[in-house]
Amino acid sequence: MSEEILAPLAGKIVKLHVEAGTVVEEDEEILVIEAMKMETPVFAPCDGTIVQVKLKEGDEVEEDDLIAVIE
Amino acid sequence: MRPYFTTMDPLGRELKKGEIKRTQVNLEAVLAAEEEILGAVETVRNAGFSTEKINARGQMTVWQRLDYLVDEGTWCPLHTLYNPCDNPEQTTNVIDGIGRISGRWAVVIGFDNKVMAGAWLPGQSENILRVTDLAKRLNIPLVWLVNCSGAKLPDQEKFYANRRGAGTPFFRHAELNQMGIPVLAGIYGTNPAGGGYQSISPTVLFAHKDCNIAVGGAGIVSGMAPQGGFNVEMAEALVDRARDHTAKPPGSVRVHYDETGFFKYVFDEEEGVLDGLKEYMKAIPAYDPKFFRVAEAADSPFSPDDIPRLLPMDQKSVYSFDQVLARLVDGGEHMEFRKEYGPEVYTGLCKVDGFLVACIGNRQGYLGKGYPEYADYPGIGGKLYRQGLIKMNEFVTLCGRDRIPIIWFQDTSGIDVGDEAEKAELLGLGQSLIYSIQQTDLPMMLAVLRKGSAAAHYVLGGPTANRHNAFTLGTVASEIYVMHGETAAVATYARRLVKEKEAGNDLQPVVDKMNDLAQSYHEKSRPLFCARTGLVDELVAMTDLRKYMKAFAGSAYQNPKSICPLHQMILPRIIKG
Repeated sequence: MSEEILAPLAGKIVKLHVEAGTVVEEDEEILVIEAMKMETPVFAPCDGTIVQVKLKEGDEVEEDDLIAVIE
Repeated sequence: MRPYFTTMDPLGRELKKGEIKRTQVNLEAVLAAEEEILGAVETVRNAGFSTEKINARGQMTVWQRLDYLVDEGTWCPLHTLYNPCDNPEQTTNVIDGIGRISGRWAVVIGFDNKVMAGAWLPGQSENILRVTDLAKRLNIPLVWLVNCSGAKLPDQEKFYANRRGAGTPFFRHAELNQMGIPVLAGIYGTNPAGGGYQSISPTVLFAHKDCNIAVGGAGIVSGMAPQGGFNVEMAEALVDRARDHTAKPPGSVRVHYDETGFFKYVFDEEEGVLDGLKEYMKAIPAYDPKFFRVAEAADSPFSPDDIPRLLPMDQKSVYSFDQVLARLVDGGEHMEFRKEYGPEVYTGLCKVDGFLVACIGNRQGYLGKGYPEYADYPGIGGKLYRQGLIKMNEFVTLCGRDRIPIIWFQDTSGIDVGDEAEKAELLGLGQSLIYSIQQTDLPMMLAVLRKGSAAAHYVLGGPTANRHNAFTLGTVASEIYVMHGETAAVATYARRLVKEKEAGNDLQPVVDKMNDLAQSYHEKSRPLFCARTGLVDELVAMTDLRKYMKAFAGSAYQNPKSICPLHQMILPRIIKG
């Protein structure tokens, strides 16, 4: 069963901690989006393995853009 | 009204394992920074003579007197690091705070007799005025431990005169008396001149047998008319006269107990003076807490030790204010006012030690699609927008109507700016909130959890609300400035950069100035700077925030000047709908 990790808001990815194959725990920080001078972390919604990462550090994202898939 | 308050809505949740893991670094940073603050506090505690030396003279130190006087576990120190004139003694030479004496809340202040026998120092009168303001705001007694040798004469021009100089507290004591707020004074040591007025201006005087109070001390009595200078012959004469007067200091117990009767009581032992104060505190007007409690006092179900994990030291990190608040209020319960409106601000009713309080705080992070409704950019918590400002205006006004004390929590980068924000009336709404606060007569306290910035620091119950803000707390994450240092550097030097560029000049010298300004802002907004200059009244460990909230709530409800019967409150009904 897979779950998509979407950008919660528009901004710039300033930190990306995972790549395909990374094992994560629920609530672990996956990436950080900077917008309006604040850094918004995005956390793993569940335990699992990252199977796809669609973006990289420095990329601009729009709200609801697909960032990664966790399985 | 029992159904409203006995059990309120649940707030917060336990930390998840991932949160515990990723907040470990922040926890360690907070604890290390709090250690640094404790080091600064120790420096103040150790200022002047050692405890051993004072004890060898048969005296207790001010710290020992406070420890004996105040009920165990209730002392909430204030202004410990306050030193606005940068005195080399590291202190304004008064030690103060809120604590219970014989079960009743009081503001307590004492001269540090280890430092120049409790002399007046620069910045001290400002410190005392904060304390008298506090007693006035909370309508609780002021208890003095007087032991004041008078002015530090070489520095007199820095504090003796002026509108808020060393004599102003005597007028404040008169004001408190006229308002029916008693000022009790335990008096020790030699208290000439200024020390004499420190002693005589309170309501009831409890004297130690060896103390004296006088218009002028031995030093003044033995003086002589100015003769244009000094010579050795005059110095010899001074020695003889000073010896004589030192042996017989004016204003002893023999004069002011036996003759004038200014001293109501005299005690042979130092502890006896404090016991006398304790006895009188039992007779101070104070409601039994059950009179105003809306529920049994209860701790939060969540650990306060979570707060240093939840509140980031990193100024750019977002966090859940609700999670912090859940660890500060009874039962982790609340009644939130207008939850769906103005999402950048929390407004709600909570219980602290069983007393009803109103809490207002900045929420953090992304505020969701379409907010603020007047702009096409995303709303981020910490900023104030139209709805949040309107909501706080409503909430504060209703709290004033229902006589509910307010606890503010700031972590704000300011009010939204730009033409869209102007069209949304934010300038007017900010001032409206100031008007709403001023319209009430409520005690308020503020905790600057992290950022206090721009006009938002004023409008969110900041210390600028002189008549309302009882005290302001900071944490090791606090920063207070008009704007971020780099923003200030841009505002200051942007046009200069343009000029230099157009003139074909090297930009580096201007860049250096910009970096210097940003660095200066950083240094002058740090927690220790805020405490030394009085931007906050005390830096507290994050785990101690609730202790101060309990002291505030207990004091505010001890003898309130105005009350609203619970069953006539309207705010809880508006929340319930």
